[in-house]
Amino acid sequence: MNMLIRKNLVLIITLVVIAFMLGVAAQGMDRQDFVITLLRGLAVGSITFLVASGFSLIFGLLDVLNLAHGTLFMIGAYIGWTVIVRPDTIMDLLTPLALILSGFALGDLYPHLSSRIRLGLRMKRFLPWALGLVSLLVLGFILPRYPIAIWNVENYSQSPVTFSFMASQGTRLPVQPATFTEISPAVALIGLLLASMFGAFGLSLFGKDAQRTVRISWKSFIGFAALLVVALVGFAYNDSLTNALTALNSNWLFLIAVIVAMASGAGLGGLMEATLIRPLYSRPIYQLMLTLGLSAIGIEMVRAVWGRPEFVTPKPDFFNGTGGACPATNFADWWANHCSTILLWEGRVRVYNEIFIPIVGLVVLISIWVLLQRTRLGMIIRAGVQDREMVEALGINVRRVFTMVFALGVGLAALGGVLAAPSTGLSNFMGESLFLNALIALAIGGLTNYPGAALGSVLVGLIQQFIIKYGQIGIPVPFTEIVFKPSPPLVPASTVLLMVIILLILPNGLLGKKE
Amino acid sequence: MENILEVQGIHTYIGQYHILQGVNVQVPKGSITVLLGRNGAGKTTTLKSIIGLTPPREGRVIYDGNEVQAMRSFDIANMGIGFVPEHRAIFRDLTVEENLKIAERGRGDYLRKKEFIFNLFPDLQRLITLPGTSLSGGQQQMLAIARALVADNKLLLIDEPSEGLAPVIIENMMSAIRELSKESTIVLVEQNFLVASKLAEYYIILEEGRSVQSGKMKDLARDKAAIHHFLGAA
Repeated sequence: MNMLIRKNLVLIITLVVIAFMLGVAAQGMDRQDFVITLLRGLAVGSITFLVASGFSLIFGLLDVLNLAHGTLFMIGAYIGWTVIVRPDTIMDLLTPLALILSGFALGDLYPHLSSRIRLGLRMKRFLPWALGLVSLLVLGFILPRYPIAIWNVENYSQSPVTFSFMASQGTRLPVQPATFTEISPAVALIGLLLASMFGAFGLSLFGKDAQRTVRISWKSFIGFAALLVVALVGFAYNDSLTNALTALNSNWLFLIAVIVAMASGAGLGGLMEATLIRPLYSRPIYQLMLTLGLSAIGIEMVRAVWGRPEFVTPKPDFFNGTGGACPATNFADWWANHCSTILLWEGRVRVYNEIFIPIVGLVVLISIWVLLQRTRLGMIIRAGVQDREMVEALGINVRRVFTMVFALGVGLAALGGVLAAPSTGLSNFMGESLFLNALIALAIGGLTNYPGAALGSVLVGLIQQFIIKYGQIGIPVPFTEIVFKPSPPLVPASTVLLMVIILLILPNGLLGKKE
Repeated sequence: MENILEVQGIHTYIGQYHILQGVNVQVPKGSITVLLGRNGAGKTTTLKSIIGLTPPREGRVIYDGNEVQAMRSFDIANMGIGFVPEHRAIFRDLTVEENLKIAERGRGDYLRKKEFIFNLFPDLQRLITLPGTSLSGGQQQMLAIARALVADNKLLLIDEPSEGLAPVIIENMMSAIRELSKESTIVLVEQNFLVASKLAEYYIILEEGRSVQSGKMKDLARDKAAIHHFLGAA
C-alpha cells in the first residue's frame, strides 16, 4: 500500500490539485456554468488526447516526431465531411483508389520477379526510374480524365459551404453524376491497374530488398484480389451504391464516415511510414523537415480541394433532435427524442459536443490501453519503445510493427478530426491549433507515457475552458474590488504557463520517466 | 565435425568506423565456442553481425547451410538463433513473464518450454509477475538467457554472461550454460578467462577487429604466452 502511494505520488498529488482547483472553481461560479465548463474541458481534452496519444505512440516507438500529425487530424475531418455530405464523390473515388493500391498489394511478387530477370548493371540503375516514370505518366494521363463528381470551390452555389449548409438543413443539393467522356472506361481501368503495378515494381527495385527471396503463396494474392473486387464492384454498381449511401439515415452515414476517415488516416499513415519516413530513420533532422513539409502540403491540398471558408459537418440525427420534450431533463426523455441538448444540474449541455465526445475519448483510452497491456502487439510496442534491436533479435519484424503503429497513430488523429468536425467545424487551421495543444499536453503528461498523454490532454482542455469561462464571468481578486477577466489571448498562454511550471518541477512531465 | 556456423572474412562498419576487418569463425555443431579478446577487439560486434544487427559489408555468414549476411535480423533469428546481448537488455516495462512470452515464435512456445526454463532457473518462477526493472543483475542475466530459450533455438549467442555477477552466481550460470549445450550450440563472448576456459571447447581470439588465433581451448590453456599476449591475463 505504502509502496503504491510512493510510486504514484505525482499522480496522486496531481489529482488532488485538480480536485482542489475544481472545488475552488465550483465555488466561484454558478452550478450550470461549472458543469458545462467541466464537460467542455473534458471534450476538448478528449479530442486533444486522440491527437496526442497517436503522436506519442509514434514518437515512443519510432522516435519520429510527426509534425504532420495535426494536418492529418484535419484531413480526417475533411474526409469524414465528404462521406457525410458528398457520398457520391467517395463512391467515385473508390474504384481508382482501389486500383492504384492493388499493384502495391502484390509486394511479395516483385522481388521474385526481379530475381528472375537478369539485367546489366546500367539497366539495373535505369529500370526503376523508367518504370516509375511510365507509371506517373499513365496516372497523369488517366486521373484528370477519370470522372469524379465533385463540388466546385470557385462557384459558391456548388461550393462545400453550400453543400454543407443544405445538408445541415436535412436536404441534399442535386448533383450531376460524372460520366466517362474523354477516355473509355476499359482504358481507364486497365491503365490504372498497369500504372499501379509498374509503379510498385519500380519502387521495389529501389529498395535493398530486391535480392531478398520470398516464398510466393496464394496468400500473396489475397490483398490484390480483394482490391480488384472492390474496384470492379465499385465501378459496376456505382450508381446504386451511391443512391444507397445517399438514402442512408444520418447515424449510419456518420458511423461510415468515422470508419472511412479512420481507415484513410491509417492508410495514409502506413503509406507515409513505408515510403517517406523509412529511408530517414537514421536522419532525425530530415524527418522533422519532411513531416513539416508534409504538413504544409497537406494544408495547401485541403485548401485547394475543399476551399478556405469554414463549414460544419452536420450532426447525426441521433444527437440532433429538437421539439417535443427538448431540451431533455432526463435520460428517458433524451432517448425518446434524441434531443441535441440535455439539462444537467440546470446547465444546458449539448449532447454530441459535451457528452458523446468525452465518452468516445474514454472508450479509445481504454481500448488502446487494453491493446498495449493485453495483446502481443502491445507487448511488442512496449518492448520496442525501450529496445528495438533486441525485439528484432528475438525474431520479430519490427519494421512491420512500425508501420502498424504509424498507421494506428494517424488513424487515431483522423478519428479525432472526424469527431471534432460536427462540434468545432472544419477549417484550414483546425489541425495546427489542436496539434499545439496536443504537444503541450504531452509535455505536461510525459512525452511517451500513455496515461500521461490522457492526463495532460484533460488538463489542457480543462484549463482552456475554465479560462474562457472566467473571461466571461471574471474572477474577483481577493481583498479588492477588482474583477479580473482573462482576455482571449490568455487561453493559449495559460496552458503554456502550466507546462512551464510543471516542466520546471518535473522535467520529464507528470508521469514521464527519466531517460 | 560439421559446422553449424561459419563466418568468413566479414568486415563490419559502425557509422564511419571499420570495426571488423576480417573475422573468421567456425563453430562446430553442439560445441561451446568462446570469442576472446581485449576490450574493443570486436567480439560483441561479431555476435551482432552474425544476427544481422550490424550487418557486415563484406564476407559471408553461413548458418546451417544458408548464407544469411544479407538477411534482416528477425529473419535470421527466426532460423533458430537466440541472442543474449551485453547488459542483458531486459524489457523494463514488461513483467518477467512477458519478457519470456515476447520471445515466442509460435503460439504456445512459452507454455511448452516453461518447465524446462524454470528447472534451469528456479529463481525466475517466483519473480514471474514482477516488472523487469526490479530484478537484480544475476536475475536479469538468467531472464535474458531464459528468453533465448523460449523458442527452439539451435544456436545461442551469449554476450558476457558473467559480467558484473557475484562468483556464486557465476557458478550457477556456468552450470546452466553447460546444461544448455546439450541441446544447442553455444557461442560465448567472455572476458573472464577462467570462466571461458572452464566452459568452452573451442576458442577464437580477436584482436583489433581481426580473428588472429583459434583452436581447442585445452591447447590455449597451456599456451601461457598467447594468453598473456592476446588477453593480458596472467
